[in-house]
Amino acid sequence: MRLRSFWHDVKKYKMFLLMLAPAVIFYLLFAYIPMAGIVIAFKRYDYAGGIFGSAWNGLDNFRFFFDSGNAWQVTRNTALYNIAFIVVNNALQIFAAILLFEVGGKWFRKIIQSSLFLPYFISWVVVGAIAYNLLNYDIGTVNAMLRGLGLEPVDIYNTPAYWPFLLVLVSAWKGLGYGTVMYLAAITSIDTEMYEAAEIDGANIFQRILKVTIPNLYPTIIILVLLAVGNIFRGDFGMFYNMVGNNGMLFSATDVIDTFVFRSLITSNDIGMSAAAGVFQSVLGFATIMAVNYAVRRYDKDRALF
Amino acid sequence: MLRKSRWTMFTLLFAFVMIMSACGNNDKNSGSSASSSAEPSKSASASSSAASGSAAAPSEGAVDTSKEVKLKMIFVGPKPVDYDSVFAELNKKLKEKINATIEGEFLDWSDWAQKYPLKLAADENFDLIYSANWAGYNDQALKGGFLELTDDMLAKYAPQAWKNMSKVSWDQAKANGKLYMVPQNRGESVEKLILYREDLRKKYNLPAIDSPEAYATYLKTVAEKEKGIVPFTPETGDWKFHNLDRVLLKQQNEWNMFDLDMPFAFKLTDEKGQVFNVYNTPEFKQLATYYKDLADHNAWSKNVLNSKNDHQADFKAGKTASITHNNGTLGALMALMRQENSPYEVALADINQGKKKSVAISTQNGTSVHATSKNPERALMAIDLLQNDKELHDLVMYGINGVHYEPVGDDKYKALDKNPNYTGFSNWSFNSPLNRDNEAFPQEASDLVKSWEANVYHYPLETFVFDNSKVKTEIANVGNVMLRYGIPLEYGLVKDIDKGLADLNKQLDAAGIAKIQTELQSQIDAFLAKN
Repeated sequence: MRLRSFWHDVKKYKMFLLMLAPAVIFYLLFAYIPMAGIVIAFKRYDYAGGIFGSAWNGLDNFRFFFDSGNAWQVTRNTALYNIAFIVVNNALQIFAAILLFEVGGKWFRKIIQSSLFLPYFISWVVVGAIAYNLLNYDIGTVNAMLRGLGLEPVDIYNTPAYWPFLLVLVSAWKGLGYGTVMYLAAITSIDTEMYEAAEIDGANIFQRILKVTIPNLYPTIIILVLLAVGNIFRGDFGMFYNMVGNNGMLFSATDVIDTFVFRSLITSNDIGMSAAAGVFQSVLGFATIMAVNYAVRRYDKDRALF
Repeated sequence: MLRKSRWTMFTLLFAFVMIMSACGNNDKNSGSSASSSAEPSKSASASSSAASGSAAAPSEGAVDTSKEVKLKMIFVGPKPVDYDSVFAELNKKLKEKINATIEGEFLDWSDWAQKYPLKLAADENFDLIYSANWAGYNDQALKGGFLELTDDMLAKYAPQAWKNMSKVSWDQAKANGKLYMVPQNRGESVEKLILYREDLRKKYNLPAIDSPEAYATYLKTVAEKEKGIVPFTPETGDWKFHNLDRVLLKQQNEWNMFDLDMPFAFKLTDEKGQVFNVYNTPEFKQLATYYKDLADHNAWSKNVLNSKNDHQADFKAGKTASITHNNGTLGALMALMRQENSPYEVALADINQGKKKSVAISTQNGTSVHATSKNPERALMAIDLLQNDKELHDLVMYGINGVHYEPVGDDKYKALDKNPNYTGFSNWSFNSPLNRDNEAFPQEASDLVKSWEANVYHYPLETFVFDNSKVKTEIANVGNVMLRYGIPLEYGLVKDIDKGLADLNKQLDAAGIAKIQTELQSQIDAFLAKN
């Protein structure tokens, strides 16, 4: 009976299922099947034994991370940076999307949108080099300008205090275009009748934005934030590594789990220990997303991811 | 209704996933069991061939080469432009001699450090691989990436190398008492020197640079008088020590350090090989003060930790006034600058005159056979020829006669225009007494090395190799502390040296440095007792 209705559904939605198939296959191949490799985190990997034949060593691989004395600091840094990125980036992206939507002129909008998008395509290696040339003490553009104005140059690369702001700024700059396009798409799909109705009721532009646009964006915001929250314990390695590099002076403010693990293990190449760090991040990320999803569910069932 | 069927779909999907991953498991299991079953058969064939070897020994090395084999070798460094033409020539000769050809695969400098271990970890199909202490030789050997080479195998398949190479070189190449590489057969100086601008020294009438103090004077003068020239630029990379430490800490104090990822040293003259933590020594504190003084006088960029400048390129372009590297590299740079009529007059400085120098241990460069190579016999024969057959050695080292180089006498060569098209990758593992020197190599660089020969010091621990498998966790953490607290201190970025040192040592204690020291010392004691 149940099975019949299942096959009935399969038949009924076969077109949709077919469209879904590539994504399902992709995740099966690249996300689910490799999950079996998690066992490496609990093994002393050797070449002869490979993934499944190596000897177990319990939680030994996790020791380096927790014994380092830095576990708390880097985990906290990772989470705080990601929270800051999520809040600042989304706020700026929504703001930019609304502005672009309200500003008329198709050409104007297109040009702004493209130029906002441009940084997204610049690799972090290049961004790191640009930042170095702008900010370094001896020949950096910023300091050259300060000197030209008769001001004291700032030693940014030796002062951790600047970095949280700098990194949030760079992340916002780079991600702005991408997020704006997503929100802009969401705004464009809002039923125009609502705006017309608001206008007839005498709403001004701010009221229109606050009462129509933003409430209609909630589902998009919640989904994007929920997806980002799942990765809250994964530092953006490309960004942190290329911006900060191996500069120990800045680590107290900039070290995230990924850069810490990279630095610790780059010379020893221990696959088991790096896998252990990955498992740690995944478990934390899983717990966070479950908790946040649960909270959203409590608040409004329809808006939760699952 | 819809909800219910959704659940059914989900369960089904989940079941499917489980089945798929189970299949994956099986595949991988069978794969590993296949490779493990291949293991005995390979060792069986090795032993049987060894047996046949001993049987055939009276009839003078009759190795069966009737079947043609293709050998794949992994090099580090970029693929040379003229790889095809040189290797075509080389393979022609190799085919005549041992009925084998070599196909090279090249791991570019930009990402070799990531790819190299993966090649071994993923058990890719190849026969030969460049190996070196600085490319994790011990680690990879102990993980089972390389084939163990027995005396019998070497005597039979690599007779010339076996005969020509000194016992010390073979011993140095052993990891945990077993041999996994055919090392280079040529002493090489690894001691670092300083290359500086002689024209600047003359311009300001500075004394000859022959001591750390004279060098400091030079750096400070350049910093003060030559705006736009950075006095000293370090090599980039994740070094855990100051770039000058090998000159000013190691050579100066006549210490040796096993591994620049750990802060341990012992005195060269100490027969007991007592290791100590360098950060705890008065010598280090004195050096940190020396560095701090230099940093305060702008001897290097304030943002040196973030600089990605290539120090050799900067030196060549006149943007920096001194760099440090080993003799061979600096000599080659000097030769190149002179050849290109550089406007700068450059010279080498040894600021530790008369101090004991050590030579590279043989594992500086070597060739290993992959643990799962199907043709280890032929692979060894190929190594033997490339290292010891004059014709093949010339080909693999210098390219084609008349195109890339021109022989000058028996032991020198002249670089021709096309020379840059065949250079820059790890053919160094075939270094041997057959090597030719570039005739343009600066005389003073060769002389300096010769003058050192009197000071080269051999010590019992030369062949000692640390097996770090028991203290990996601590090593990872100690390395991190060195990078985070040691490096800023050495580059003079920490204002208060005493506090910086105290912080550094406190963090090292927390990272478990005592445990590494105990392990290291016990291995050294065992090693010395045995030898």
